[in-house]
Amino acid sequence: MATVTLVTQGRTRRRTPPNHRLSRALPYLVPTLVLYGWFLVYPMLDAVRLSFFEWSGFRTDDPRWVGIDNYVRLFTQDAVFWTALRNSVVWVVLSLVIPTGIALLLALGLNRRMVGRNLMRAVFYIPAVFASITVAAMWRWIYNPTLGFVNQALAGVGLGDWAQSWLGDPRFALASIFVASIWQGVGFSMVLFLAGLQTVPAELMDAAKVDGASTWQRFRAVTVPALRPTTVVVVILTIINALKVFDLVVGMTGGGPAQSTQVLALWSYTQSFANHQFGMGGAVATVLLIVTLALVIPYMAWSMREEER
Amino acid sequence: MDKTRTLGIVALGAAAATALAGCAGGADDADGTELTVWLTTQEPNQREAVDALVAAYEEKADVTITVEERSVDQHKDAMRQIAGTDSGPDVYWYWEGSGLGGELVDVGMSLDLTDYYAQYGWEDRFTPASLAGITQYGGFHGVPWTLQGEGIYYNKELFAQAGVEDVPATYDELVDAADALVDAGITPIEFGGTVNWDVMRLLDSLVETECGAQTADELNTGDGDWGAEPCVTDAFTELAAWGDAYLNDGFMGISNDDAAQLFFSGQAAMSLEGTWYNAQVVDNGLDPEDVGIFPFPTGTDRLYGFGEAYYVNAATDHPDEAAAFLDFLTSEEGQEIAGSNWGALSVNKDVPVDESNPLNAVWADVFAASDAGMYTNNDQNFSTAETTEYWRIQNSVLTGDLDPADAGAEFQAYRDANG
Repeated sequence: MATVTLVTQGRTRRRTPPNHRLSRALPYLVPTLVLYGWFLVYPMLDAVRLSFFEWSGFRTDDPRWVGIDNYVRLFTQDAVFWTALRNSVVWVVLSLVIPTGIALLLALGLNRRMVGRNLMRAVFYIPAVFASITVAAMWRWIYNPTLGFVNQALAGVGLGDWAQSWLGDPRFALASIFVASIWQGVGFSMVLFLAGLQTVPAELMDAAKVDGASTWQRFRAVTVPALRPTTVVVVILTIINALKVFDLVVGMTGGGPAQSTQVLALWSYTQSFANHQFGMGGAVATVLLIVTLALVIPYMAWSMREEER
Repeated sequence: MDKTRTLGIVALGAAAATALAGCAGGADDADGTELTVWLTTQEPNQREAVDALVAAYEEKADVTITVEERSVDQHKDAMRQIAGTDSGPDVYWYWEGSGLGGELVDVGMSLDLTDYYAQYGWEDRFTPASLAGITQYGGFHGVPWTLQGEGIYYNKELFAQAGVEDVPATYDELVDAADALVDAGITPIEFGGTVNWDVMRLLDSLVETECGAQTADELNTGDGDWGAEPCVTDAFTELAAWGDAYLNDGFMGISNDDAAQLFFSGQAAMSLEGTWYNAQVVDNGLDPEDVGIFPFPTGTDRLYGFGEAYYVNAATDHPDEAAAFLDFLTSEEGQEIAGSNWGALSVNKDVPVDESNPLNAVWADVFAASDAGMYTNNDQNFSTAETTEYWRIQNSVLTGDLDPADAGAEFQAYRDANG
């Protein structure tokens, strides 16, 4: 068997060919691959398969092949699907702009030396630790039209006319849930950005200062490029989390009022497990999968090309 | 053979002997039949009553009863998953409506109990109203457990404050009462919109009011055309009017539990609830003497409500034992143990009204006056998918996003496309 021998600082090390390395690693990978395949890949593929059938979910009721009928119904007859798709896309766009921007600003602010810095970091991060369903319950009370904090506070400062049924009015409901998601999610992205900021080379920053670069110029020319790997992670996680938002919507509105806050992940679940239309649920899940891949793969490809430059 | 090895062999032998003895013990224990019963998650008082019922029956019969509880959705899911397998329960609790219990009857999960009805004389045991839900699919599917009536609970003091002296007997009188309450600065009626089914009670009752019993039945449980009946538009128009003028502020954004606090705290005069509400009225500090009940005045003399039953799984190996257990549950002895934990009135016509809560007797009168039968909540009449659409349309009318005139046609279009 051909091997390559390297001599490094007086020590001899053999470089094993890639195919040999794989065969040695395989025994360790197999259990994980089997579990991953069975519990993650197979259900995903099975959901896609199910989207071509009509099935009530009863084992006694054999799934009936309907081809692309579920997709045709989804796109032409489902009164909720387009609302769910629009809300999911809006949620992604807003998530990429608002909480990500706030998280970056917080990270930049809390990366400076200041009194109580660690306490502030903890305070902003704590909501990320809470289960989403707990956050939903808390914010449902905050938005309660009669007893809730928001309307009470508005009344307290003489703005009682601004009081609304925040979760009961289709004009405000989705935005109201989104505010809760910002509160919960911004801390996680902030921590990632804080970690990324530790990798910004101090010597580069010092050199920029010596060269007379302004704060904005240092941020744009030094900080932003150094944060690129972190930004890639934050953006991808944000997109994925935004597309699969579920718990907050279930806990705060259940998709209402009148399905106005419905999103793709919840509509897939509702079609399958509430409406017992597993084919339709599978079709929505497949659309969600395609949308996710359509957003994430091009971004990853772009960021990898940027990385290689 | 060294000492350690000898000890090891002895230990292995002892373990094997113990295991075999365990198997033998299991076989002895299996002489008595084991019955598994699946329920939804019970309130603490109901759970105590279930335990008492099981204990009382196990003393009488050589049967071990295992009760498994699940949340509402998990219970429905579990029934789907075990359909066609032998891993299900012997007995299961379910709602009787065609979209729920009827669905399980359709897929063959419920055992037709006709022979047991003859053997135990059950036809003579139950009230005709409670039997209606059992016989609606042909044969006898299930044994009645509750018959829940729904009507308007009202705060007598708030009615008096608004000058409403007589209990509304017609729909117009109900609207007049609501107007009087608004004029007095009192919220007429409370609903919580996030759960959908709470407000649905109002819509169902308005359909019954505007369409009459026969047309409502055709629409709800038959082949009626929601898009072709003018009364459907009238019902949705009235729904929108109630939403605009008479319901609590922000009702679409709160749950039924939150909304109920408005009634319990005297901030809303009426609540459209069911017999289970009797206990909640007391638990939340209201004197039941200060609360009245009247059926929604639809003009059809039918009472709004639904039934719940215990069904025998068609796949059970122990149908005789399951039937005997259900016979005990619904016997006078069993119903006395059950008390009014599940409903105001017993399905057993020989069991007197539990007078520990005076509202139970009020319901007895309401049931007695409803000669024309019952109309059922539409989330029990419709398939679950239809129900989701019904709620979307109902809420769209209430939020002003859908014209009441288009509501019926939109629902019918869904039914036609998904029928």
